[in-house]
Amino acid sequence: MTVVRTPPPLPVRDKTAAREQSGSGVSPMLTRLAAERATGVLMRECGTLHLSEGQVVHAESPLAPGLDVLLTARGTLDPAQWWSAVQRAGDPVGAVRLLFEGGSLAPGTLELIHLGALFDAAYFALAPSSTPGRFRYGSPPAQAPLRTVPVATVERETLRRRTLLHSIWPDATSDGLPLSRAERGAAPPLTARQRAVLDRVDGSRTAPDIARELGRRTFPTLMDVRRLVAAGVVAPGARPPAALAPAEVNDPDITLLKRLRDALEAL
Amino acid sequence: MPGIDECLLEAMRLPGARGAALVDWTSGLALGSVGESPGGDHESTATEAAELARLAAEHQAFASEDAAEAEPPVEDLIISNRDSYHVLRFVGTTFDSSVVLHLWLARTEGNLALARIRLAEMAGRLVLG
Repeated sequence: MTVVRTPPPLPVRDKTAAREQSGSGVSPMLTRLAAERATGVLMRECGTLHLSEGQVVHAESPLAPGLDVLLTARGTLDPAQWWSAVQRAGDPVGAVRLLFEGGSLAPGTLELIHLGALFDAAYFALAPSSTPGRFRYGSPPAQAPLRTVPVATVERETLRRRTLLHSIWPDATSDGLPLSRAERGAAPPLTARQRAVLDRVDGSRTAPDIARELGRRTFPTLMDVRRLVAAGVVAPGARPPAALAPAEVNDPDITLLKRLRDALEAL
Repeated sequence: MPGIDECLLEAMRLPGARGAALVDWTSGLALGSVGESPGGDHESTATEAAELARLAAEHQAFASEDAAEAEPPVEDLIISNRDSYHVLRFVGTTFDSSVVLHLWLARTEGNLALARIRLAEMAGRLVLG
């Protein structure tokens, strides 16, 4: 009579401990940088975060309109005034500081535009990426008069924004592909904001293109676009995306490599 | 010309003010908050206030059709319950934004009419260019 012995269970990685260690899981590297109060620039695939003593001072992304677009698109600031400030200061953040000190920007306006741009760009900078992030330690950007935001707040907000978009329409392909109008009978009632977005859907513009043209932040535009897609008015085109390509990867080798990278970043 | 914090502190000086926050109503993010909040958690209060503001701003029944883009489609929202008032004032800006000033007032000491007028003034001063 043969005795069947069950082999001992394979060791299982304790996932809860790993999750706690890596913070909210948006970017383990960012969580570590916040813990060590690092100062410098974190460069990721879809954007950069500027840190000062572990706090986020500023964020930029090619997919989100910068301070220049938001400030000048609707006449908040004269473009000539903006560009002369950029020339004198050398970079957008310095230009904002100059304009603030010169009295051309009110504190409330500055804070609202800066925070709006920061969270908008951070959403893309912290998007899942296919390449590892790099961090360049550096001298702290002079913060005043800009507000700084704790890393945990930025991570939490980014996750919440992902959930919000997902709850409107779970398919993210419309975020980066050129959009075209879908043939459909009667259109549902649209808001003025959505109509402005729909007017610019022409088969070649993407949601970030439309946001830039309208001088709007990209995230609210993505919400409008997902609603339009959910209503069947707009559909993502078939052309392969140029910039944003979070293609679904099912290749086990690549998945393993990504997990390895995340684990190494978390060390 | 006040910043966000000064604006909220000014709101707290209104009679009966219990808490105030500046909330981005597209995402539900609290850009600043002072005082108490109804559930004890400013973050979840901001999310719920944003839901309410979004409903009002995006439904044809409540939003004024001919509003220019710089102006919010709704001026303010008022909610009264047995022991308090909530006033949500939309902040109009020339640049792209979606913020409301949320004030929580104790019903016995609060003056709703005064609060409404003052919030409108504060919202205007916050973004005075």
